[in-house]
Amino acid sequence: MIEFSHVSKTYRGVRALDDVSFTVGPGCVAGFLGPNGAGKSTALRILVGLVRPTSGSATVLGRAYADLDAPGARVGTLLDAGALHPGRTGREVLTLGAMTIGLPRARVGEVLDLVGLSGREAGRPVGGYSLGMRQRLGIGHALLGRPEVLILDEPANGLDPQGIHWMRVLLRGLADSGCSVLLSSHLLHEIEQVADRVVLIGGGRILAQGTVTELGRGRSLEETFLELTANADRSAS
Amino acid sequence: MTARSEGIDDTSLGSRPPTMMTGITAPARPPFHRLLRVETRKLFDTRSAKIMTLVLAGLTVALIAARGVVAGPHPRTLTGTAGVGFGTLLPVLGILTVTGEWSHRTAMTTFALEPRRHRVLAAKCLPPLVTAVAASLFALLVTVPVTVISARVERVPADWNFGPLAVLGWTATNVLLVAMGLAVGMLLLSAPASIVVYLSAPALGTFVGHLGATGELLVRWFDLNTTVGPLAQGDMSGTEAARLAVSVTFWIVAPMTAGFVRAIRKEVN
Repeated sequence: MIEFSHVSKTYRGVRALDDVSFTVGPGCVAGFLGPNGAGKSTALRILVGLVRPTSGSATVLGRAYADLDAPGARVGTLLDAGALHPGRTGREVLTLGAMTIGLPRARVGEVLDLVGLSGREAGRPVGGYSLGMRQRLGIGHALLGRPEVLILDEPANGLDPQGIHWMRVLLRGLADSGCSVLLSSHLLHEIEQVADRVVLIGGGRILAQGTVTELGRGRSLEETFLELTANADRSAS
Repeated sequence: MTARSEGIDDTSLGSRPPTMMTGITAPARPPFHRLLRVETRKLFDTRSAKIMTLVLAGLTVALIAARGVVAGPHPRTLTGTAGVGFGTLLPVLGILTVTGEWSHRTAMTTFALEPRRHRVLAAKCLPPLVTAVAASLFALLVTVPVTVISARVERVPADWNFGPLAVLGWTATNVLLVAMGLAVGMLLLSAPASIVVYLSAPALGTFVGHLGATGELLVRWFDLNTTVGPLAQGDMSGTEAARLAVSVTFWIVAPMTAGFVRAIRKEVN
């Protein structure tokens, strides 16, 4: 369960987020969709307690993320697939995560299999990884514990079409077992392919939310997306 | 299985995805010893850290052996030679550890796994200090055979005038210099800036020392590289201890406290 309640964030007088409220319940894959700079990453970082909201609150599983007993085990996060020490191997990155959460070492191998990184790839420093491999590693890191909630920032970025298909099957399976999934993207077709619900954000404000069909209202989601984000830009300037 | 039991509606309990494991109890908050193990591992698990450790070990052996050939069987002088390498490389290792999470932005992952940041920071500072003790012991272990061999070769008696107090003082000096590196790194949160500040501190001390009587007074009380001198020799007067305390406050306690506060409050982007 993820809940944003009237979250606003101001950076040096600039409103990055403006009264953002939405919830993602168990069993749901929610797509957080918006153009670059719309405030998606800021919102997700507030959710994980890395950035303080100016007002409002965000909770995971009914509590502030930092107040959870074992956040690493209950909530899987991927906030930036590029944020890795280039000199560490993929296997080492997962090993450190598993150690911190308190999982048996065998879990690292399971996760590597799950995200499709070979033993050879896992043994190489991540500095030489492609963006797609970093994303797979990051998703694997998020799945290390047995997360009841998954928070993924632009996880499909850099994945090839097969990779996106793989992610859709994976996230669907997790949601079906009761996981709440929130993933962000600036690309509409990615969201259309993996999410059941869409939260559309532009200029720091929630413009619309609902199922892909509801938001389309007979038109393509793309038209809705372009129309709403264009309106948001106009009213913001 | 308790970890997953809430938040699942009854209809979905039957279908569990292949990612889930069975037979593991719900993990609790990471205890401090676990964070300490993780942070110790992080100190040595990157390519650059491995290279640096090897360089440091090789350099220690080479420096002590070379000095043994030139200076003869004087263990105090020999370990002091290793200290020169330690005073430079170990604090840099410490700086890289405390700044690495910010320069590589892995703080995002680290603080997501343990949001109580002060515990992560404390776990991060201890391993480099312990490493300084271990490196000092290593240098002492290398010094003993070099002294013995040097005495045999030069046919002079070894000068074992290096008592436990001097050994302790010398080790403590290495630890303090690493602590200074950590403190500067924690305050600045940038590896290049911290390394520059740390390495230029002795030169700054020399410069200030030449600024007349006031300059000399400042150096005597605030330049850590000067005030650790008596400690490294294992022979300290009350005034010298007070000077050391003042300079430790200035270079270690104050910047580390400010750095802790800064890192705990900082927004991670």
